[in-house]
Amino acid sequence: MTEGRIYTGEEVRGGQQLQCDVCVVGSGAGGSVLAHELVSRGLQVVMLEEGGYHTRREFDLQESKAFPNLYQELGNRTTDDLSVTILQGRSVGGGTTVNWCSSFRTPKRILDHWRDVHRVDGLSEDVLRPHWEAIEKRLHIAEWPEERMNRNNRVLWDGCGKLGYSRGLIPRNVNNCADLGYCGVGCPIDAKQSMLATMIPDAVEKGLTVYANASARRLRIEGRKVAAVEVDVLDAESRRSSGRTLTVRPKVAAVCGGALNSPALLLRSGLTAHGRVGKRTFLHPVVITVADFDEPVEAFSGAPQSVHSHHFIERGPEKMGFFIEVPPIHPMLGAITLSGFGIHYQRFLSRLPYVNACIALIVDGLLPGEEGGTVGLRAQGDGRLKIRYPLTEPHWEAFRTACKEMARIQFAAGAKTVVTLHSPPLLMRSVDEISKLDSAPWEKLRVRVVTAHQMGGCSMGKDPSTSVVDNRLRYHELDNLFVVDGSVFPTSLGVNPQESIFGIARWAAQHVAAAV
Amino acid sequence: MRSGGQPIPRVEERRSFLKKGLLGGLILAIGGVGFLASRRSRLAPLPPQGLRVLDPSEYAVVMAIAARMVPGGEGFPSVQEVGVGLNADGILVRTDPAAAKEVKQLLKLFENALAGFIFSARIRPFTQLPPEEQDQVLEEWQSSRLEIRRTGFTALRTLVLASYFGSPLSWPAVHYPGPPPGFHQPDAPVWRGGGEKRPDGNGVFHPEASND
Repeated sequence: MTEGRIYTGEEVRGGQQLQCDVCVVGSGAGGSVLAHELVSRGLQVVMLEEGGYHTRREFDLQESKAFPNLYQELGNRTTDDLSVTILQGRSVGGGTTVNWCSSFRTPKRILDHWRDVHRVDGLSEDVLRPHWEAIEKRLHIAEWPEERMNRNNRVLWDGCGKLGYSRGLIPRNVNNCADLGYCGVGCPIDAKQSMLATMIPDAVEKGLTVYANASARRLRIEGRKVAAVEVDVLDAESRRSSGRTLTVRPKVAAVCGGALNSPALLLRSGLTAHGRVGKRTFLHPVVITVADFDEPVEAFSGAPQSVHSHHFIERGPEKMGFFIEVPPIHPMLGAITLSGFGIHYQRFLSRLPYVNACIALIVDGLLPGEEGGTVGLRAQGDGRLKIRYPLTEPHWEAFRTACKEMARIQFAAGAKTVVTLHSPPLLMRSVDEISKLDSAPWEKLRVRVVTAHQMGGCSMGKDPSTSVVDNRLRYHELDNLFVVDGSVFPTSLGVNPQESIFGIARWAAQHVAAAV
Repeated sequence: MRSGGQPIPRVEERRSFLKKGLLGGLILAIGGVGFLASRRSRLAPLPPQGLRVLDPSEYAVVMAIAARMVPGGEGFPSVQEVGVGLNADGILVRTDPAAAKEVKQLLKLFENALAGFIFSARIRPFTQLPPEEQDQVLEEWQSSRLEIRRTGFTALRTLVLASYFGSPLSWPAVHYPGPPPGFHQPDAPVWRGGGEKRPDGNGVFHPEASND
């Protein structure tokens, strides 16, 4: 096999036609692992990525440059009503280029739930374990040692310790990490074992051809097959169509665009799976509390996410569980995410090095009858997706409880004050004031809700009347179309998703290869 | 925007408009011309670099909102020093055109004296109001019972704050030291394969070594 290559949009002349065994659409956690497995089997693979090819040469650690280059919609992707802000990667490497490195295996109770409720067969811990082990070895995934924990994570660690809440160290995919704290804007030393730094170049060495700035617009269907993938080549600077196109004619197509873009590509191609494509979208919706300390916390520095608490992950049959972690705090994203405005807001921001934030990620999709959000298309010419995510009574109960528990943790760790991200913010000066949260306005666009984890939209399962892809991730009604990314998850996970996506993609490669 | 002096649609019609889009419906519903809607903005001096998406009135609204969101002083540079309006224009250049158009409409609506009159009986455009009243307008949008206004507030706030705090000029005020020096390598090789040898680095797997 001759070595492959990474092409960017300006290198592509118009009207080019490509043939290959497998066309992988998307270069994130799913697409990269899949492509690597396929080229390792000697198959000819073309990978398409709508984002740019940005590498450590450009990673100057500035938010104002990173967000336009590395995030969907410059970091401004949201639900239609702006009630949930969606952080999602968009460049070669996808979300793995900008995530905070947290790496967890899929929890057993989630795999059991999928088997029992969603008729997912053949996806057990035993089946996935060898894939997780191989990935963990390649990506140097290991628990971050307690002695290297930064002070922002230390707040969560200490607070949980004082309250007797369960806590754990997060496994991270890093090699020679320098503790910079800038994982979210692209690692400047490739210490982060992102797909950009690891599996994609590994696969290129084995023959993978990558096209960056190449947006798959439509799958052309003929009979029971995808005949071609129609691609718009984007102008790297404006991100708009250059007018040049590319056509890939694969034996098999694998859609790996993530839980928002994969359903959108299927919908643009007229594939709806009887209305199930773009349904059951789950987001691990996040609420945040921010604590002010006497001593510096410097949440912009050090490994950003190294402690988790899954103490509240199961809260009984009627309630949504949640898990707690911390985010890094840099000026731009921090200023936008904090609520309020004016002189008090400005004064609070001047405390930036002294603040800690905790995030609670709500586990969605597990309650009976819970349908999550939807992804749809907007009118022609509007580059955005139609993303809806109704916030329901169980969400608000979980948000309220989570904010109370996080405030308790922060006060236990020594916080002077804790604020919520209500608009305007709600200030608590002691643990006695946590009850203020009972009367706070728990309503959309009155409290900040964000997400960095997108799952579902092309659920897997045995039954074509309740799922989009089968137990081997093949689209039920076509012979040569697979979906291989977080969109196949029938629910959210209750852990950060990247390793679950790596694992399922590595496992699915055998089925994709068998279809060639 | 609607042209010609049609009457404002009745309430039921407005409600149906509200359901249709992010903000377009609301703008159509109250964007009629006439004395209030045509009241002029207090313009701000334009940046010498020129604007690519915002018009002078929209630019003035961005600057006026920014000046109330981050009033400056206490070490915070002014919105003029940071160049918030120019930065916002730069963000909108790279924004999806349909979204950028909505932001422009939203800025017009926010400024519109007729909208201000309908919402809260103010008859001057936002840029013509004294600072205390501007704060009141922002607070009304922030806490409005109309979800669409809270959506609008969120959109404008995000644009303005990204434009201010995306600038390194804001860093000293928030006591942020900036990225640690010495790690970004602007001359790092960019490997594309094609027969060229892949440079060694942290991303290359060496099975025998395990560092972390």
